[in-house]
Amino acid sequence: MFEFANPAVFLTWLVFLPAVVALVIAFLPLRGETIKWISLATTVVVFLMSLSMIFGWGSVKFQTGEEFAGMQNLFAIDWIPSFGIQYLMATDGISFPLIVLTAFLCVLAMGASWPIKKHEKAYCVLYLLLETGMLGVFCALDFFLFYVFWEVMLLPMYFLIGIWGGPRKEYAAIKFFLYTLFGSVLMLIAILMLYFNSDLRQLPADQLVATGVVSPHLEESVRQERVQNILNSDAPQHTFNILAMQYMGQHTDLFTTPNWLGQSLQWWAFVLLGIGFIIKVPSVPIHTWLPDAHVEAPTPISMILAGILLKMGGYGIIRICYPICPQAGFDLAYVVCAVGVVSMVYGAFAAMAQTDFKRLVAYSSVSHMGYVVLGLGVWSAVAGNDFNPEYWEMGMNGAMFQMIAHGISSAGMFFIVGVVYDRVHHRNLNEFGGLFAKMPVYSGLAVGIFFAALGLPGLCGFIGEVLVVLSVWNFSVALAVISAAVVILTAGYILWAVQRVYLGPEYKGPHGEALTPITFREFSIAAPLLAFAIYFGVNPQALLNYMTPSVNKTVVELTEWAKDNPSVTQSQQPATVATPIRPQIES
Amino acid sequence: MDNLPTLLMIAWLLPLASFAVICIGYSVPQLLGLRVRYSTQKIASYIAVGAIVFGFLISAYCLFGIWLPEHPLAASSHHGEEQPDELAGQASPFRPTAFAEEHSEEGHKHATNGPPLYQAGDWYTLARFGSLKLTIGYYIDTLTIAMFCMVTLIASCIHIYAVGYMHDELHDVTDHEVTLSNGEHLHRRGRFQRFFQYFSLFSFSMLGICISGNLAMTFVFWELVGICSYFLIGFYIERHSASTAANKAFIVNRVGDFGMIIGLMALWSTLGTFSFGDVDKADGTKERGMFSMLHEQSNGYELAPTQRMIDFDASRQSEGSEPTNGQWLLFVAGVGIFCGCMGKSAQFPLHTWLPDAMEGPTPVSALVHSATMVAAGVFLVGRVYPIFTPEALLVIAVIGCITLFLAATIAITAVDIKRVLAYSTVSQLGFMMLALGLGGWVAGLFHLITHAFFKSLLFLCSGSVIHAVHSNDMRQMGGLRHKMPITAYTMLIGCLAIAGIGIPFVLGFSGFHSKDVIVEQAIHFGQTNGGYSWLFVVVPLAGALMTSFYMFRLWYMTFAGKPRDHHRYNHAHESPWVMAGPLVLLAVFAIGVGWTLPMQMPGVLSRLGVENLLDTARPVGQLGNKHGVLLPNLVIPDEHASHVAAVKIPAGWSAILVAVAGIAGATVVYLWEVISAASLRRYLNLLYHATWNKWWFDELYDFVFVRPTLAISRFIAFALDRGLIDSILHSFAWIYRGLAAVVAIVGDRWLIDNSVDTVAEKTWDLGLTLRSVQTGQLRQYVMFIVVCTIALFIVATLWWRFAVAG
Repeated sequence: MFEFANPAVFLTWLVFLPAVVALVIAFLPLRGETIKWISLATTVVVFLMSLSMIFGWGSVKFQTGEEFAGMQNLFAIDWIPSFGIQYLMATDGISFPLIVLTAFLCVLAMGASWPIKKHEKAYCVLYLLLETGMLGVFCALDFFLFYVFWEVMLLPMYFLIGIWGGPRKEYAAIKFFLYTLFGSVLMLIAILMLYFNSDLRQLPADQLVATGVVSPHLEESVRQERVQNILNSDAPQHTFNILAMQYMGQHTDLFTTPNWLGQSLQWWAFVLLGIGFIIKVPSVPIHTWLPDAHVEAPTPISMILAGILLKMGGYGIIRICYPICPQAGFDLAYVVCAVGVVSMVYGAFAAMAQTDFKRLVAYSSVSHMGYVVLGLGVWSAVAGNDFNPEYWEMGMNGAMFQMIAHGISSAGMFFIVGVVYDRVHHRNLNEFGGLFAKMPVYSGLAVGIFFAALGLPGLCGFIGEVLVVLSVWNFSVALAVISAAVVILTAGYILWAVQRVYLGPEYKGPHGEALTPITFREFSIAAPLLAFAIYFGVNPQALLNYMTPSVNKTVVELTEWAKDNPSVTQSQQPATVATPIRPQIES
Repeated sequence: MDNLPTLLMIAWLLPLASFAVICIGYSVPQLLGLRVRYSTQKIASYIAVGAIVFGFLISAYCLFGIWLPEHPLAASSHHGEEQPDELAGQASPFRPTAFAEEHSEEGHKHATNGPPLYQAGDWYTLARFGSLKLTIGYYIDTLTIAMFCMVTLIASCIHIYAVGYMHDELHDVTDHEVTLSNGEHLHRRGRFQRFFQYFSLFSFSMLGICISGNLAMTFVFWELVGICSYFLIGFYIERHSASTAANKAFIVNRVGDFGMIIGLMALWSTLGTFSFGDVDKADGTKERGMFSMLHEQSNGYELAPTQRMIDFDASRQSEGSEPTNGQWLLFVAGVGIFCGCMGKSAQFPLHTWLPDAMEGPTPVSALVHSATMVAAGVFLVGRVYPIFTPEALLVIAVIGCITLFLAATIAITAVDIKRVLAYSTVSQLGFMMLALGLGGWVAGLFHLITHAFFKSLLFLCSGSVIHAVHSNDMRQMGGLRHKMPITAYTMLIGCLAIAGIGIPFVLGFSGFHSKDVIVEQAIHFGQTNGGYSWLFVVVPLAGALMTSFYMFRLWYMTFAGKPRDHHRYNHAHESPWVMAGPLVLLAVFAIGVGWTLPMQMPGVLSRLGVENLLDTARPVGQLGNKHGVLLPNLVIPDEHASHVAAVKIPAGWSAILVAVAGIAGATVVYLWEVISAASLRRYLNLLYHATWNKWWFDELYDFVFVRPTLAISRFIAFALDRGLIDSILHSFAWIYRGLAAVVAIVGDRWLIDNSVDTVAEKTWDLGLTLRSVQTGQLRQYVMFIVVCTIALFIVATLWWRFAVAG
């Protein structure tokens, strides 16, 4: 039960420890501070566990390097065998940084939860369940399991906004819930579409093991037997295994069957999944849950929301949309990029007009996550340049880096807003000013974190943005130029906000006497965020070392696919696929 | 030689260390809730000054101790005609490493120079994807070292000066420019250490640009310079005007950066590298940089787009248009990068931030806005010179020409002493850009260096004046030379230098030499191209005339004549030596930095001078006339050929004539007051208003850019986001609720409930009806039984017969 060198044990503990503690808390007669301390301790332990994967403190270790580009620490246990559903988890360079980020931000956000005095027990229980949901999403590689975690995360969030939120919390919570649920439903449809068209018999035997369809930890003879069972069965063997689906999407034509409106199955799957994930990112025009949810949510929940939940959208696109539906991804690359660019511009403009500090930060998230969508989509490896994947690698790595960078800077910004809100109970940008004189340390941290979001060199935001933007030109000059223009708008709204809040001779709003220097607790939340913003800005390799092999692998696989399908990729038309008749297809 | 990069790196990183020490050292006590004593704050200035002075010593050693002895100077470019003979006599490594073979494919002969001597390498990799990599590296040639010496020397002077100038910040400050809501002036703690903290960071960033080995690194430090200027311009954070000016500076610079990013993208996507020079790899091979890719040795070092550029251009070509073979892409890249330089160097149309930036303390104006930050733009044009096509150079020349003229006109009517200097800076930067654009690589950068010295001198002098009279307004000054002679006469030296006074062909103030070569290049350009290209001669001469006019107007209004404000005059005093000392030092350089000394240094074979020094750094492929491709008639003339007598003599005389004429004009109007300034104002009313209002650029930009942006943002945030998208959502919600209500009322209550109720009612009615059957009479019941039994029997029989049995 505690063999941490066994990935099954370790990852299960990592994901479910918060849930277990939540259960314990729920049934113990504890009160107030004690519960928070226990929750904080739990998040710290989870964070230490995630760190132990880096340093290998007697647990499973996350390896870096080209040869470890694939999935690591994979384990597979049958869960509902009749439907091919597995308890399947693993980590790679795409999910691992996000797992660490999640664990890290959960610690800080728990620290930021101290001012919450209402129903503390319920709050902590929901908070810990949320953490389990988030970690689960990043670890799960079975589509069904993924979906379960995705939904598990939704409910605590709904209550956390709806109970502990601001004046319009019910509206915001319902809006958030319905939006996300709408996305989830589309995702479920896509999952089922893919499931019923999947067929494990098309996979080579070694892939069946590599993807975990047949657990690699079984004994050799058992494994062989199960592989043969699958390959020799008469009926199609459906699966929810994401890795197997990726293989099917790239190496078979199971998903290219024509579907509704002349588009292939994978085209529809891509669109449905894409909408689901883009709601989460969120991108224009399906982003309006975000400003409301952020403004109404309590500070720690805003941190989690911006820092982690938004990343699930980007994670879904890179993990699921593109690898499973490469052809649709190729056909729709321009749409994806355009959505990203529109979000960047739109979010920046919208942020500029805000007078609510938190709303401004929320729209800045829309703008910054636009970089992620753009970077993921720049499929510039085409026949015209001999399928040179380097620029797309740069874009996707930039997008991944931007996810982490935004996780740090946006969580930081929401916390920064929360600090003043706790003191003066308003967020009207026009009623601040002069905070530098009253709260010098706080203001220094705040300006640092805001500049990280502004994309100042030496801070984390710069690297992500520059990698993404530089990669776009080879894909589309027009999008490149527009995306470059966003730097002006970003500077505009951030500097203007800094001027209105921190500079100036005196504070203009109510409760000026409450503006006391930040406490040690607040400092120890904001300072690590700024420290990491600087560290990743100065030494991006520290992060890229972990993510680059896996991201590059994804890009290279997709490029290989494009090379193998010249007829599809040279004509920009949506594929008109002749369905190969296969004897196994059920009549 | 091998330790050159390391030494320069130390000089570069020293200010960063100073920044870090000051930042951390003074933040920790604040964290603990302590107040830093002012005596402790003073230490910060020693740290910063020490760092930069030590940096200067290292840079000077690199120049005189390492670089020059190993690479002796070539002959003076002033004597272009004699060069071939001298050349033959010296086997100097400075000769262009390989003159191209003559080739006559296109009917004209080319002979251009190879790359200058340089060292390039990488220190640190930020990110790497396949063959693409972003690195922090170095590219060291004579220009780098010259810039290092210039920047560190001037920064040292300004640092020392600032110790005196900023001493107000060493005790509690009452800011008379900030009035609080209760009507009192603002009281605040002094921020002495923070000033030096930003100063150090700024020096670090500027040196980073100078040593940068690739464009990505340049961009990094480019932005850092921008943010440092933001902090320094907005140093008085309580003043709204200061924070607004800081925002404006940063945002206008970002507009330029937008263009720069486009240029970077174009180069990055087609060259796959940002390195300037060829970088040695560990295995002994070289990784090719941008310059050598664009100037192939096999191509005679002529500028030619690479194959990937040509392919890229072809792939984006629309049907039927002429193929440009990558020239168009190269043009976009060049102009894009120049946009960034336009922002930093305050060129038209992005010049509006620099005068506002005078909100910062005067040492900031001197450091940021005369010698370093604005120099960065010119430096970058000089650095990436090999990528500019002749057409891009023409754009640079046109922008420079417009800038120098516009700014000079505004400077004539400005009354704020610092703003006059600010506009004169803009104008002089225009001169540099013009020179670079017309092919005068050495001319532009030579002027950059001489200008840095006399402009920082002028700024520091004006700071000294402001320090003494506590006003920026020249109308409240006058006669100050009696009170502050050192300031007055060092400033006079600065004025003479910027006006370009000297004895033609013999000797003059530094500005004389550098302006002279600019005019030479312009005249040569005019001679080569003819027609409208003479505008590039006329406008700068007019600009030079105005320059000497407004500079002497400034000097006369400030130092000559009678005091206009006796209260201020009586309180005026000469500045302490910590401020006056740097003035004297800079004045010496303002006089002599343009000279070519007949010095025999060990190992140095020929004469020492900035111009000769720069000539050894001339980038690859810049000798010989360059012909335009997109504009076939355009010829960018060879700079060496500009020193022939046919160009030199008219240039020398016209330059000195306009300079003297300008001074004479100022003397007539402002010293002797033969013609009163007021009557001139009346006479040139419209012109006066135009220049007084800075040609209404701020108003125009506000109207054309700022307001529409804010309007769009409000439209998006409120009309689109909350109006449209949320309305659609809410209407979905309403439709849904409407549907639910319909289902609930019509379906549930009306249809289902009604029918269920009806059934119930009918059942009830039926029951009531059947009750009458329940009579209690046995006979009647028996009859019912009999009738029913018979009926059942009949039905069953019939059913059996027809339905079941078939």
